[in-house]
Amino acid sequence: MLLESSTLSFIGEKFSDFLDYTGFANLMWENLIMILVGAFFIWLAIKKDFEPLLLIPIGLGIILGNIPFKSAGLEIGLYEDNSVLNFFYQGVKQGWYPPLIFLGIGAMTDFSALIANPKMMLVGAAAQFGIFGAYIIALALGFEPNQAAGIAIIGGADGPTAIFLSSKLSPNLMGAIAVCAYSYMALVPVIQPFIMRALTTKKEKLIKMEKSREVSQTERILFPIVGLLITTFIVPSGLPLLGMLFFGNLLKESTKTTRLAKTAGSALNDIVVMLLGLTVGCSTQASEFLTLDTIKIFALGAFAFIIATTSGVLFVKLFNVFLPEGKKINPLIGNAGVSAVPMAARISNQEGLKADHTNFLLMHAMGPNVAGVIGSAVAAGVLLGFLS
Amino acid sequence: MKRVFLLSLLNLFAIAVCAQGARDFKITEVYIAQEGENNGFLDEFGKASSWIEIENTSYTTHNIRNCFLTTNEDVLKEMSAPDREKLMSIIPSGDERTNLKGKQRITFFADGNVNRSILHTNFMLKPTGKPVFIALYDGNAVDLLDSITIPADLKPGYSYAKIGDEWKTIPNDQITPNAPNSFFGNADKIKEWKEKDPHGLAMTVLSMGIVFGCLLLLFVFFHLFGWIINRMNRAAKYKAIMKLREQANKVVVIAKEGIETKGIPYENYVAAISLALHEYLGNMHDMESGIITIQRKDSEWGNKDHNLRHQESHFVPTN
Repeated sequence: MLLESSTLSFIGEKFSDFLDYTGFANLMWENLIMILVGAFFIWLAIKKDFEPLLLIPIGLGIILGNIPFKSAGLEIGLYEDNSVLNFFYQGVKQGWYPPLIFLGIGAMTDFSALIANPKMMLVGAAAQFGIFGAYIIALALGFEPNQAAGIAIIGGADGPTAIFLSSKLSPNLMGAIAVCAYSYMALVPVIQPFIMRALTTKKEKLIKMEKSREVSQTERILFPIVGLLITTFIVPSGLPLLGMLFFGNLLKESTKTTRLAKTAGSALNDIVVMLLGLTVGCSTQASEFLTLDTIKIFALGAFAFIIATTSGVLFVKLFNVFLPEGKKINPLIGNAGVSAVPMAARISNQEGLKADHTNFLLMHAMGPNVAGVIGSAVAAGVLLGFLS
Repeated sequence: MKRVFLLSLLNLFAIAVCAQGARDFKITEVYIAQEGENNGFLDEFGKASSWIEIENTSYTTHNIRNCFLTTNEDVLKEMSAPDREKLMSIIPSGDERTNLKGKQRITFFADGNVNRSILHTNFMLKPTGKPVFIALYDGNAVDLLDSITIPADLKPGYSYAKIGDEWKTIPNDQITPNAPNSFFGNADKIKEWKEKDPHGLAMTVLSMGIVFGCLLLLFVFFHLFGWIINRMNRAAKYKAIMKLREQANKVVVIAKEGIETKGIPYENYVAAISLALHEYLGNMHDMESGIITIQRKDSEWGNKDHNLRHQESHFVPTN
């Protein structure tokens, strides 16, 4: 006999150990649900073209984070110290990724529409009511103020800001908040149009806005510097986000650092988006994600988006009362006050074209849209300053 | 011989896996009770005392039996394992409570009453006005699994808890023995907001005011700046128009009075100007696109027939 019976039983025992370590042996129904959720996200991204750059990494991340395994200190799981995934996750946990994404956003964003028509800043500010409306509802649902703030920031429609704030104030809810924020951002074309249509009259939809003036390079260079000084002197807690946003924009507008702006807006941004999406998806492990709190967060996120869109549109209508004829703003650009750039502006344009096929609102809507980015970062800084 | 070697190797692997499991135990919260204080977290005998919470940070079950807890800093010195064991309090085996599922926590009472149950240590934690060192050692009394030094200025009624990667002081009504430390941000500030603004209206008014204020300032600045730039543009345009008008006047004068050729024949004068214009405009073609066209060379390396992905059909109908 080549192998003794004790050796055979030992092999059997070890093989049984091996089987214990497989995903099949450790599978729970919660993991299966989350894997299906991940697959659904990937389907949405590929088939329906909903924010594929975000939903594909998040979807695969959800699947990756829910592969069941028996931890034996092998340092492979997202939450295990020294694992590769844990190393990537530090960018989310410590809040490095959101400022880097803001750097990319700054390098890609043209603030000319806002500089040419600065009153759009106020529309961007008005849409931030979504954040604080959701904060009030979250408190009523029994969340602590810090948790409510983390959830409410979803209303800013700004994924990186939501991750940044929740990582500081409510890290245990961060996975749900991030997935919720990005999911609703992808669903902006579904959520916003019916609110916009319901809140505007036919006459308002037909308002044609006057052509914006040309913006000089001096103004474009001055904008990030003045913007940085004003916002961060008032809200220093927003420094990581606002600082990087305006830094990226200065790289672009100075025209002397084109290479840096190009890298920040393309390669660097893509790398960070990939790692952020993957690790945020991974952090939604069934045991942490499938809870009643997650359902509440998703409901609150929807409310936040609805309030933000409503307040943006209504603010423009109110603003129009004080504006002379010929200077009036089309309320269809009010929705763009949320910072889902440029999707919210694109929706304004589409809705404008539906009412009048010659009324192009895209460039006008870009004003409140980029103001929304600044507004949500300022709101996050304010909440962080008050609660941390 | 080979079999013995193989068995030893597998056993070593099994031991290594067990040791790695112990590494997942971390101290997550500590409470140092005042003399006679009832902090609401009672042991099996209804007594309140100081306590140390430990979490199995992994997602799988591990047993914490035979690990050691201590407050004696001397254990960090070089010494044999048996000597170190003498300075520490062992977590006894034989109780199912030491078997911790993934993310589960266990709390030990640091009251010196080791005979009460396995959840009691042989040392007492008391407020001494000095930093307190606490260490968790593996069952071999060699590997330090985790340690923490409680600051001397920890206020009475506050626990010292690990939240994320940071240690924070948590007020009495927020301490969570045997439960995740889910309190974040500044405990005092959050408590104040919760008490004084339970509906969030003050936060909304204040924050929206600040957001509006920030963007209003930006609006004012760029509105004024835009106005100044517009004025400057208008002035520049006016200047340009005036210059153009002046040149037009000169042309009118020349047309009326003729060019002053300073003795050069009129035809030569006009020919020189025409030649200069021709050369200037003729050199414009030197602005090239910079794109170099490379002649395509087909080889086996680029043969599309070897491609495994779907390609557009090369078939071209002839009729």
